[in-house]
Amino acid sequence: MAHSAPETPAKVTMQSAETRRSHDSIWRGLLPLALGMVLALALQFVLPAIVGQYNSRIVMDIGIAMIMAVSLNIVNGMTGQFSIGHAGFMTLGGYTAAMLTYYGSLYMWGAPPAHGHFLGAGEWMMAGACIVGGLVAAGAGYVVGLPSLRLRGDYLAIVTLGFGEILRVVLQQTSKVIEDPAALKAAKWSQLFPPPVGGAIGFADVPKYTNLFWVYTFVTITVVVAYRLKNSSLGRAMISIREDEIASQAMGVNIARNKVLAFVLAAFFAGTAGGLFAHESGVIISPKDAGFQRSFDYVIMTVLGGRGSITGVMLAASILTALPEMLRDFEQYRLIMYALLLIIMMLVRPQGLFGIHEIWQLWPGKGTRTVQKKA
Amino acid sequence: MTANPAPPNAAVPSSKETGKPLLHVDQIGIAFGGLKAVQGFSLNLPTGALYGLIGPNGAGKTTVFNLLTGVYQADSGQMLLDSQNLMGSKPHRIAAAGIARTFQNIRLFPGLSVLDNVRLAGQLRSSHGLLATLLRTPAHQAEEAAIRKQAFDLLAIFDLQDRANEPADSLCYGHQRHLEIVRALATGPKVLLLDEPAAGMNSQEKVELAQAIRKIRDQFQVSILLIEHDMGLVMEICERIVVLDHGVIISEGTPAMIQNDPKVIAAYLGGGVEAA
Ligand SMILES: Nc1ncnc2c1ncn2[C@@H]1O[C@H](COP(=O)(O)OP(=O)(O)OP(=O)(O)O)[C@@H](O)[C@H]1O
Ligand SMILES: [Mg+2]
Repeated sequence: MAHSAPETPAKVTMQSAETRRSHDSIWRGLLPLALGMVLALALQFVLPAIVGQYNSRIVMDIGIAMIMAVSLNIVNGMTGQFSIGHAGFMTLGGYTAAMLTYYGSLYMWGAPPAHGHFLGAGEWMMAGACIVGGLVAAGAGYVVGLPSLRLRGDYLAIVTLGFGEILRVVLQQTSKVIEDPAALKAAKWSQLFPPPVGGAIGFADVPKYTNLFWVYTFVTITVVVAYRLKNSSLGRAMISIREDEIASQAMGVNIARNKVLAFVLAAFFAGTAGGLFAHESGVIISPKDAGFQRSFDYVIMTVLGGRGSITGVMLAASILTALPEMLRDFEQYRLIMYALLLIIMMLVRPQGLFGIHEIWQLWPGKGTRTVQKKA
Repeated sequence: MTANPAPPNAAVPSSKETGKPLLHVDQIGIAFGGLKAVQGFSLNLPTGALYGLIGPNGAGKTTVFNLLTGVYQADSGQMLLDSQNLMGSKPHRIAAAGIARTFQNIRLFPGLSVLDNVRLAGQLRSSHGLLATLLRTPAHQAEEAAIRKQAFDLLAIFDLQDRANEPADSLCYGHQRHLEIVRALATGPKVLLLDEPAAGMNSQEKVELAQAIRKIRDQFQVSILLIEHDMGLVMEICERIVVLDHGVIISEGTPAMIQNDPKVIAAYLGGGVEAA
């Protein structure tokens, strides 16, 4: 809405005040990010001392799962589409980022292993690579999102599933990793096809830079973006598509644009999560990560958390990541447990833990009346 | 922002000045398989007009709305809004051009709050880019605040401000119909299509609705096309009425003319629905 203010002498001073205010508010806009990074720093230095190395590692996995589940929820929760190929975007981003750091390190430093200390050159290289991985995944998200304009429900689900499975098969056909810096310098561009990322056994020897600081920095970015989206015109448009597509169009929402945008955004964050995953110690990213099983894990997190509830989905991601670790001995029953959990959930609380609401909205007297939502 | 949003294209000379009808529809039609649901439908709706569209059940009234709003694409004919061609346009483009509607079988966003239902429609003419949204720029914040303010102003028409934070599907039936109208108005339309807004209301509520429709027309300078089965309401508030039967216009004129048209009476008696 444009206000056409009449020309007055006061205008000049008003403008400078406005500029100042706008700077203030951009800083305020970045404040949650700063807070998140401080928290991430604290986790990095305090948590291992308290809960030990092994549990810190689980907290790291939880962070990656949170990025995955919160971003998937933009597609499945907000726009109400049904993607079951989210791990495909993750793996694509992961391989992209891993290629950048592995070959970048080999080229610049002559060896792939970790370079530099905390917040050193190597880690910054990884952070940049994660973002590039996210962008590549976002590109794939655009392509996979396009059929969403014509297909709905089960059919779209099959397309997204197909994307993950095709990626898995393609990654299996990739060639061996180049280990020798001299060979890399002699390599021709044509050797990029198929890319040398290790084939079926996976991409080993990727430098291990991922730590709590970087994971929770990316978690913060993801959550802030998801939250701001949800509470804005743009997010409202996405949610209206979930609620009633015909009415949404009739009120001027460009359904095609919003559906694809949701896919692109979700894929971007999945790509960054993949980058963090590929650089996590103890992980060898491999083609099977793109497959259905991993995607299914994230779908369950969004279903359990509640469609559109960011905090609900974060909680579900924490539980479903920590629980299997604690019940290692029952690993073979994991899928059965998931299935049971889903069935119980469908019967008892089909809207998910928090439905469409955030954790603080469940507090008594704080808008609880708006919490009830039919299945 | 006052309760009366500026017409979207204030610079463009409105139909009032040019003398042309605001909405000009010529010979549009659509068939579903063999069924010719609407055939050769024409209409000239001037600025600020309040016209009625009536006909027995299944006559094709809702189908006309679906054609005008791009839900269905007309097989043939011409549609112009303020000289802008609407044939083949997507529904969201038609909404942006200035045609808003309500739905006969209520289509609110059930899980969204009353306020958000209106805000969703009210954001049609704002930019809300991705970057501005994520950075929460001052311009974006100001825009969101304006949308919110406008939504509350519009909710006040039917005294719905106090229910703003409740989910839309918790409202009773009559209020849901009110909310449908408010939501349509929030898009800042030039033409408002109301599909049986009085359905399910008692006579007291219908009287209030009639007043509200008139008030909306005057205050917002919109042209209204009203589908309604309640003949009392239609005859009372509409300046002209178009009668559809089996997809074709069988009569058109002032309420007095329609009431005495033997073809209209025959259509209603033949259809066995309500007596005109
Ligand atoms: N999508 C569709 N596919 C097939 N037939 C349709 C479709 N939409 C409408 N029709 C048919 O077109 C005819 C006109 O329907 P329409 O809903 O426009 O009637 P109406 O005048 O609004 O009736 P009512 O007063 O009951 O609301 C009906 O015979 C209906 O069955
Ligand atoms: Mg109808």
